[in-house]
Amino acid sequence: MSRAELTVREALLEPGARDLRRARTDWIMRRVVEIAAFLAVLPLFALVLFVTLRALPWLSPEFFFNNPLDTQPGIFNAIIGSLQMSALALLITGPIGVAGGVYLSEFASARVASIGEMVIDILLGIPSIVAGLFAFLLLVPILGFSGWAGSLALSVLTLPIVMRTTQEVVRLVPPSVREASLALGVPVWRTTLLVTLRTALPGVLTGLVLAASRALGETAPLIMTAKGTNASNFLDFGTTMNAMPLVIYRYAEAADDRTIGQAWATALVLMVIALTLNVIVRWRTIDSRVA
Amino acid sequence: MLGAGQAVRPQRILWSDFLERDAVERLGIDWRGSHVATLDLYQSRSGAADPLFRRIFGAGAAAGGILLLVITGYLIINTLPLWAIQSPFSFISTTAWITGIEQADGSTLEVYGAASALFGTAATSLIAVLFAAPIGILGAIYLVEFAPKRLAIPLTFLVELIAAIPSVVFGLWALGDLSIRLRDSIEWWVASTLGQVIPWLSEDPGSPAADSVFRAGFLLAIMILPMIVAVSREFLRSVPISLREGYIGMGATKWEAIRNVVVPTARVGLIGAVLLALGRAIGETIAVTMVIGNAEGIPSSLFLPGNSVAAKIAGNIGEASTEVQLSALVALGLALFLLSFVISLIVRISLRRFAAIKAVS
Repeated sequence: MSRAELTVREALLEPGARDLRRARTDWIMRRVVEIAAFLAVLPLFALVLFVTLRALPWLSPEFFFNNPLDTQPGIFNAIIGSLQMSALALLITGPIGVAGGVYLSEFASARVASIGEMVIDILLGIPSIVAGLFAFLLLVPILGFSGWAGSLALSVLTLPIVMRTTQEVVRLVPPSVREASLALGVPVWRTTLLVTLRTALPGVLTGLVLAASRALGETAPLIMTAKGTNASNFLDFGTTMNAMPLVIYRYAEAADDRTIGQAWATALVLMVIALTLNVIVRWRTIDSRVA
Repeated sequence: MLGAGQAVRPQRILWSDFLERDAVERLGIDWRGSHVATLDLYQSRSGAADPLFRRIFGAGAAAGGILLLVITGYLIINTLPLWAIQSPFSFISTTAWITGIEQADGSTLEVYGAASALFGTAATSLIAVLFAAPIGILGAIYLVEFAPKRLAIPLTFLVELIAAIPSVVFGLWALGDLSIRLRDSIEWWVASTLGQVIPWLSEDPGSPAADSVFRAGFLLAIMILPMIVAVSREFLRSVPISLREGYIGMGATKWEAIRNVVVPTARVGLIGAVLLALGRAIGETIAVTMVIGNAEGIPSSLFLPGNSVAAKIAGNIGEASTEVQLSALVALGLALFLLSFVISLIVRISLRRFAAIKAVS
């Protein structure tokens, strides 16, 4: 290295053995953190690549539109079941979660808000198996193994997600927006619904999509409630219902290649749905979070 | 009551407080003739729907609290049949799980012990944290301190996407690919070197087990990595840039600034990130169930099949035929619930000073 390429600091320091060692440590640690970042994203590529490779040979129109007992077995009833149970879970938790989130950030006193936040924290931390166990104990004796019980079990897990995101985004709405509306004589309830919530709507929708993505991927609560079935039941929540995670779980250790192949193909479908939902809602906000 | 946290969190005065006359008086403001009072009067004339509106929204918030109370209460009530035949202490310290064996004298032997499942949960979670914490924190350091913006954005995005993949897909991947690779690489290598000296790292190289505690732990490490990266990143970012500049300006290298200034400043947050991830690992069910092997008892080596609390519930719930059997499984669920409860409480108390935690959890 020629003298001219040294930075001012290096030139001033008259590098001795100690400075060289420090520079070397710095260089090594830069490489170490680069490797760590690389290792952190590596599993995503390995998983997506491997699942795709294993699943592709089994994807066909029959796979999507036939039921498990047809001569060309497919997962149509599982796709339908997953979608309708997640949709029902969102229908239940959407209004409750949004209302609760708005209340905690708009109307609650500091004390109530702090208690509410703690409750949401704890609900968010509930293991999915415990939510399933709860639904199994409380709901299955009343509703039987059914789509209703499955949807309600999923609701336990989605409620805190909706509430937390709503609370966070409503809090970000500038006070001036509300004050402007109130100063015009608009009552509180119209201000909250048509001004505050309207301003926070993109964020609230993000929360709902994240909750949907969680509901679609959950397995443990459904094992104990919806149970899974080979029959197709469109909008028939009263009977056992199939779901994509249940198919993957049940087929994963099957003996024949075809069934295992179906598990991989279902995993690919589920993964694509979950990743698409997350890419849509996260890509929009990524710049503000990284910058 | 809030102690140190109160000092930082400002007293919340909500705009809605100003619409209530008594709230205004509580603040020591003479409302008569002020614009606040105007709002208040307006409120009483045309905002008749407001109290009802607030109550409806309050009911939404109350639903969360009620749900938590009902879950806790219902789990506790359903464990009562077990406590009739066994004490909580013996439940936690026993390793055997015997669901009823006819003995010579005609009585049935029933023993329920959570120890082996608790061991599996602790072992897998600790293995997960052991791998994920260093990689996650160092990765977050790269993203915050070194990565150029056009690389940091996609990398952060990709790491966050890992969290979006359903755990059953992770389980399937581990079953069909990752487990086998681990068995033939890390596990084989450790077992044939360290395993010769340390018995709980040994494995029969001729016939390795189909499933193992270690493989479940490693899979968990991958699953909790995005959480560690995301939370650590938030806290590293919150360290003021001037601290770094000051240290580097004194002649330190970038790494020295990170090690001596940035990491110590964000230390509480980094520990919180690891704790949050530990809570996630403890509760993870399906992926662990698929690769841990669901064997009874505490395995003599990490490379042998074991069990975890969540996996045991998932695996046995279908066969629970008596009330006591079911209540023993509920007791496992309650233990899991309390563990995650305590962890989220610790995180909350230790991180109350930081707002960042809420944005990511």
